Amino acid sequence: MVSPSALYTAPDVSEKRFTVDRSSEKYQTTNGRTTGPSAHVLGAGQIDVDRPSDPKLLSDGRTPTPLSILRMELTGLQDDINEFLTERMELAKNKKLKTQSQADEQRIDKEITKLLDGGDDDDDETKN
Amino acid sequence: MASSSLDHTLTLDIPFETEAQASIAMRVLQPDPILRPQDFEVTYSTRGASLVVSVASVDDRVLRVGVSNIIDSIKTIVETADELSLQQ
Repeated sequence: MVSPSALYTAPDVSEKRFTVDRSSEKYQTTNGRTTGPSAHVLGAGQIDVDRPSDPKLLSDGRTPTPLSILRMELTGLQDDINEFLTERMELAKNKKLKTQSQADEQRIDKEITKLLDGGDDDDDETKN
Repeated sequence: MASSSLDHTLTLDIPFETEAQASIAMRVLQPDPILRPQDFEVTYSTRGASLVVSVASVDDRVLRVGVSNIIDSIKTIVETADELSLQQ
């Protein structure tokens, strides 16, 4: 059985392909890093009742079944995708904040320039 | 077909043991409602023994939530098939 894979595309990036490295431990567990309760919640005594079951083993008691291997590889792939998209979300957030900050700076500069040009005094004279 | 604004896409290729398993997985997933169809689209198909999931989203945040939920559902289907030892 071959391994699961994924392909991501977005307007601002070239294709990103997700594949499974069978030698890596993260594709050999049913417990994902990005799913389930956080370490903080578990540390506070919460019991994870939705914890994924361990892989089912063949009659030799050591080798996971092909479907269990698929489930473990999907878990690792899910972590890879979640971490990649979380990173992309952070980048987008920082970009938005930077744009907002630049807009604020431009607005303040404009107001200061207006004050230095005597715009405020002109208004006062008009009112009087 | 994704509309032009749904330009963040992810395609999953999930190889099952048999075509029947991939077909069962597709039929189990298809009835799931999409809560915000204007922001997220998903299509399921099979190619041989593989389940192919094509997702299109308005941004990475919506894509992350949607894709992770779909993978959770697929893992449940795989676990169920494993427990029931579905070989056909």
